[in-house]
Amino acid sequence: MSAGAGVRPWARDLSLGVRFAVTGGREGWVRLVLTAVGVGLGVALLLLATAVPNALAERHRREEARLDHTYSEHVRPKADNTLLIADVDTTFRDKNVLGRLVEPEGPDAPLAPGLTRYPAPGEMVVSPALKRLLDSGDGELLRERLPYRVVGTIGEQGLIGSQELAYYAGTRDLEQHLDGWQVGRITEFGPQERTKETWDPVLLLLVLVMFVVLLTPVAVFIATAVRFGGERRDRRLAALRLVGADSHMTRRIAAGEALASSLLGLVAGAVLFLLGRQIAGQVEVADISVFPGYLDPSPALAALVVVAVPAASVLVTLLALRGVVIEPLGVVRTSKPARRRLWWRLLTPAVGLALLLPMVGQGRDHGNFNQYAVIGGVLLLLAGVTALLPWVVETVVARLGRGPVSWQLAVRRLQLSSGSAARMVNGIAVAVAGAIALQMLFAGVEGGYREDTGLDLNQAEMQIRMSGDVPLDKAAAEFGATRGVREVVPLGQTVVADVHWRTDGGPDTTADLTVGTCAALRTMAKLPSCHDGDVFVATSTSGVSDTDPEQLVAPGRRLYVLDSNDSDRNRDVAWTVPEGLKKAVAIKAPDGWEHDGVLITPGALPTALAGTTVGQIYLSVDESVPDTYDRVRNTAARLDTFSSAQVWTSHRESREFRTIRTGLLVGAVCVLVLIGASLLVSQLEQLRERRRLLSTLVAFGTRRTTLSLSVLWQTAVPIGLGLLLAMTVGLALGAVLLEMTATPVYVDWASALTMTGIGAGVVVAVTLLSLPPLLRLMRPDGLRTE
Amino acid sequence: MTPPPGSLLAAQDLHKAYGATKALDGAEFSIHPGEVVAVMGPSGSGKSTLLHCLAGIVVPDSGSITYDGRELATMSDAQRSALRRNEFGFVFQFGQLVPELTCVENVALPLRLSGTSRKEAERAALTWMERLEVEDVAGQRPGEVSGGQGQRVAVARALVTRPRVIFADEPTGALDSLNGERVMELFTDAARSTNAAVVLVTHEARVAAYSDREIVVRDGKSRDMERAL
Repeated sequence: MSAGAGVRPWARDLSLGVRFAVTGGREGWVRLVLTAVGVGLGVALLLLATAVPNALAERHRREEARLDHTYSEHVRPKADNTLLIADVDTTFRDKNVLGRLVEPEGPDAPLAPGLTRYPAPGEMVVSPALKRLLDSGDGELLRERLPYRVVGTIGEQGLIGSQELAYYAGTRDLEQHLDGWQVGRITEFGPQERTKETWDPVLLLLVLVMFVVLLTPVAVFIATAVRFGGERRDRRLAALRLVGADSHMTRRIAAGEALASSLLGLVAGAVLFLLGRQIAGQVEVADISVFPGYLDPSPALAALVVVAVPAASVLVTLLALRGVVIEPLGVVRTSKPARRRLWWRLLTPAVGLALLLPMVGQGRDHGNFNQYAVIGGVLLLLAGVTALLPWVVETVVARLGRGPVSWQLAVRRLQLSSGSAARMVNGIAVAVAGAIALQMLFAGVEGGYREDTGLDLNQAEMQIRMSGDVPLDKAAAEFGATRGVREVVPLGQTVVADVHWRTDGGPDTTADLTVGTCAALRTMAKLPSCHDGDVFVATSTSGVSDTDPEQLVAPGRRLYVLDSNDSDRNRDVAWTVPEGLKKAVAIKAPDGWEHDGVLITPGALPTALAGTTVGQIYLSVDESVPDTYDRVRNTAARLDTFSSAQVWTSHRESREFRTIRTGLLVGAVCVLVLIGASLLVSQLEQLRERRRLLSTLVAFGTRRTTLSLSVLWQTAVPIGLGLLLAMTVGLALGAVLLEMTATPVYVDWASALTMTGIGAGVVVAVTLLSLPPLLRLMRPDGLRTE
Repeated sequence: MTPPPGSLLAAQDLHKAYGATKALDGAEFSIHPGEVVAVMGPSGSGKSTLLHCLAGIVVPDSGSITYDGRELATMSDAQRSALRRNEFGFVFQFGQLVPELTCVENVALPLRLSGTSRKEAERAALTWMERLEVEDVAGQRPGEVSGGQGQRVAVARALVTRPRVIFADEPTGALDSLNGERVMELFTDAARSTNAAVVLVTHEARVAAYSDREIVVRDGKSRDMERAL
């Protein structure tokens, strides 16, 4: 063998390394498979990440393609190409159900995506997930609400997720419900103008940071995985030196072994990705699911992964071998490691900061952030953790004092190879640093994407809106009889004006008109006294209304009550304000608003006004009764197909913000599992390498607890240092990101400590999982040589 | 069955199998205080298994082992560990020193495990290292010393607790003959000076020559050569 130089020796030695990797016997195969699985897991995650932009775009496209704009100021006339469609979305156990009632009016009526024909009245086509649900016992309550015969399924093109619940039901006489809002007449599906999904700059920043934060630990993990079994490989290389290989050759052969592992890892990653892609089609997180077909990696990004992973594995191996002297006599000695220098390690995060700082104060009003600078800056800051950690571990462990035997064993081991200890915790430190920064950013900008609904959950937990065709007393009785409902406040609401509603430009002066029993009206206003037949004029103390109701609603005055159930919204009924009008003061109603205007008890309501109001029914429910919400929704649907039932919450979150948060959750879980797996494999690998020594120590009487504690210290010390550094970098990065969004910097210590705690939890879990193999390795079998 | 009178450690009718392989098949053994007994036999004959059983590292499938009148089989794992820590010493073929610790820390380790303070343990360790002529490598790590020096450090580690029995498994197996002989000289001298019994597993006749008696193990059965003569 000769060293040589140039491409040919490289090719020869790399191929030799590849051959060694696959001909190493059982031991070699175990190592190869271990590395391939490790690299494969990382590659699968990377491929998944490259598929995310496509998945989002496809989801957006499909969502747009099935848009049905029922809202219109004027209802278009019936024609051969028109379709009557009603939005009857509902919810079943926190899951949204897309629901449409359809009535094609001619042979050219537009067909919704995913449908081959429209169902006849009384029939429906459903999404596969809804079909499964309805066929199972779990969907029994929903079945009551959807009394249609299932005649087909909606194709993939009509759905935005594999687990989406959706149906199109055929109906008739929809025209009489046309309101240009919930029920409309359309000639096509799809957006009025095609849009590209645009992101708020801060949300885009969140997404960018999230990607970097989630993918950096994956890269660190891959770098760790290609070094599995390094010590054993070094011994093998020493044997090669004995038969004449020079040090350059051994390095190239080692690189070849790494190349084989990473190539196999690429294959494993592709297989895992394809498997994961199929599994992804079966799961749903926070109401979001995807079709396997969505998850197509972007070709350019996938090609980058295919090239970068093997190249990185070779590079990492060559770098790792820098400090190792492989001698021919089977002895591998780590060359006296050069003291780690701090300056360039500080340079990495410093450059990262320098990239981010010019964007400080940009906020959300100054256009988009420079995406490349954000990615580069965050990446360098997080890479700073991996650069600084070995220096921190080396510096600190060099100063650690003496202690019990377990401590001494651990500290000495750390002093001898602080690099491998730092490497082991690099991934988790980067993940925690990124998570802290993201958490800070989320908490800081949350206010802009999450608002207080103002709803009073002490008064009611549900609100039902239904047409005025349903008598309020009947609705009250039905809801009152529904299991789990504690209290019912039925109100009829419309608007009253000084002139006809069909007047050009509409009336100038209006006020709310609410119909309800005395008990129901008391939830809206302070009433002096109340008997059926009373009429009140309520004034607001907060001055939210432009109109003074007392001026508008004067006894004997003729007013015009809007028929709220009329589709053209200009039909009204004349009403003369009766004598004996009482005064009341509006209070905050269950819906969070003060409603001034007219309050009428049922006894005072003229027959002509009976159908002009829409029902607003507020319910107080017993949440401990299972499925109360769905029983209420069923009652509402039975009373009025077009009713809407809303469960109240104290806060409302922006959809994109919620999606990003869900994405973070899913990504963080994947990354933590990956890091946990990597830690466990590294730990087991190290223990396996030390099997004989552990057995020897046990042989001369070392307590197993001493050895277990020593393993714990060996993990705990670098982890402690890693988490401390992660917290520092994470808080710094979080502060910079908040400054960039012009949000006041606030350190949410609870979240930072939680993130750190989760990181520590992963390590504790890994240590506990490695204890059984440790105890097994300490058995005397390790001393056997035959 | 009773152990031979005056014996410190004795085993009778030992059986031990690893799967279908019988490592010991009725082996017998005894040793007196201050005696050096060589256990000889070809590779795979069961001599290391016999040593591991005698030292309480491996529990035999059947048979009896008594140490100082106490039956090892009735002892718990913790009791056997304590016995190994306080009364036994070990020397293995490749030294099996802890690579992270310095040589003196390695030698002091058994004492520290028994609760001796670090200073006292290292002082005692240095004394033994001087006797074994390796005091000059006290501050070095095992990876930085030669094979012979490492093995002498391992012997010092085995002697530092002044054990009553020392188990040596091929103590010179990884050394050249010159180094091996020097290690054996120092080892047996030191052991005799403390009246320690030495169970010496070897397949080399020149190593066995340092013993007072030889036991040959073949196919899991033992044969006491002195009694056979």
